[in-house]
Amino acid sequence: MQHRHLLPDEVDQLLDGASGLDAAPLRAHLAGCPDCTRQLADARIVCEALDALQHLAPSPRFTASVMAQVQVLEPWHVALANGAQRLLPASRPMRMVMLASGALVAVALSATAIGLAMRPDLALYAAGLAAGRARGALLDAAGTLIHDVFGQTALEALRSGGGSTVALGGAVLLTAVAVASVGLRAAATTARRTRE
Amino acid sequence: MTAFLDLTNAPDAEVVALAQRGREDAFRELVRRYERPVFSLIFRMVRESATAEDLSQDAFVKVLNNIDRYRPEFKFSSWLFKIAHNIAIDFLRRRQLDTISIDGSPYAATAAEAEASTFDLDAGGENALDALAAKELGSAIERAIGALRPEYRACIMLRHVEGRSYEEIAATLDLPLGTVKTYIHRARGQLREALVHLRE
Repeated sequence: MQHRHLLPDEVDQLLDGASGLDAAPLRAHLAGCPDCTRQLADARIVCEALDALQHLAPSPRFTASVMAQVQVLEPWHVALANGAQRLLPASRPMRMVMLASGALVAVALSATAIGLAMRPDLALYAAGLAAGRARGALLDAAGTLIHDVFGQTALEALRSGGGSTVALGGAVLLTAVAVASVGLRAAATTARRTRE
Repeated sequence: MTAFLDLTNAPDAEVVALAQRGREDAFRELVRRYERPVFSLIFRMVRESATAEDLSQDAFVKVLNNIDRYRPEFKFSSWLFKIAHNIAIDFLRRRQLDTISIDGSPYAATAAEAEASTFDLDAGGENALDALAAKELGSAIERAIGALRPEYRACIMLRHVEGRSYEEIAATLDLPLGTVKTYIHRARGQLREALVHLRE
């Protein structure tokens, strides 16, 4: 048994449940020292009271208030993965069919790309052909639109006038749209004020 | 399609990982899990319920809006307590508060709720006198905690209410281990002195 009283640190060790060889001499001292035993008992009452303290509850609206201020963001890679997952069919056979179709398309595209790379003249010819057809389709669509909106006369005037006439026509059209927008907005504002 | 899982029994690390993937139910689960511990810690530091609730909300909002910065090598709860403690200390530095006593939850709507949430030393108490003494001690210790220095309060709460080790408290509060031991020792001593009249 040690012949001095327990130091504050040693009392804390016992309070915190120290065991083993370090605690053995402390406990041996306690067995023969009423002062230290009383000191430890007093400290233990406080610790037990502290251990028994309960959690306090915030108001019932706490979670809602927190969540209203929290930004729940799905990272882009998760969104991408989830989006891809949504596209996949639910059943296994359908997924296999989709996978096989995708593989076939990939093979066909790869073969086409390799073929075009090996024949640059053919690639240029095909690109020129596609551009020409796209231009033709665009002009046809614009012509149809002008014919439907402004009539045959306007279409013929545009065809005979060339680029400057097309530019002038475009400017007139844009001006008309802008004037109409401003007028409609003013009319809507007036109507709202009248209602109020 | 996002699978709906019961998160109630999932470990913190798993719930946090789901929150990092943008799962709102994981955010709610983290709030549900820690609203009482965080509110209790802050309330016992600032001693005012409305302020404690505001500061607790600030702590959760700060943590959840930065959930992508959470490093899994630390316990989520330690990170949350660290933020909560810092917010409470910042508040106390800005404003000195008088201590007030509490008896039961500050949000107890009825006497029965207040009764249920008050201190209970021994749930299976032998007799009414023991229960009364326990309740008196509970109220007294709440008052005594309010009189401690804020640093002592945080250490005592984390040690005794949250059951954290000295090392965890040191990491949570960014204090040296020796300082934590000293604070807890001094806090216990002051509480013992404050409660001495109840033992006589």
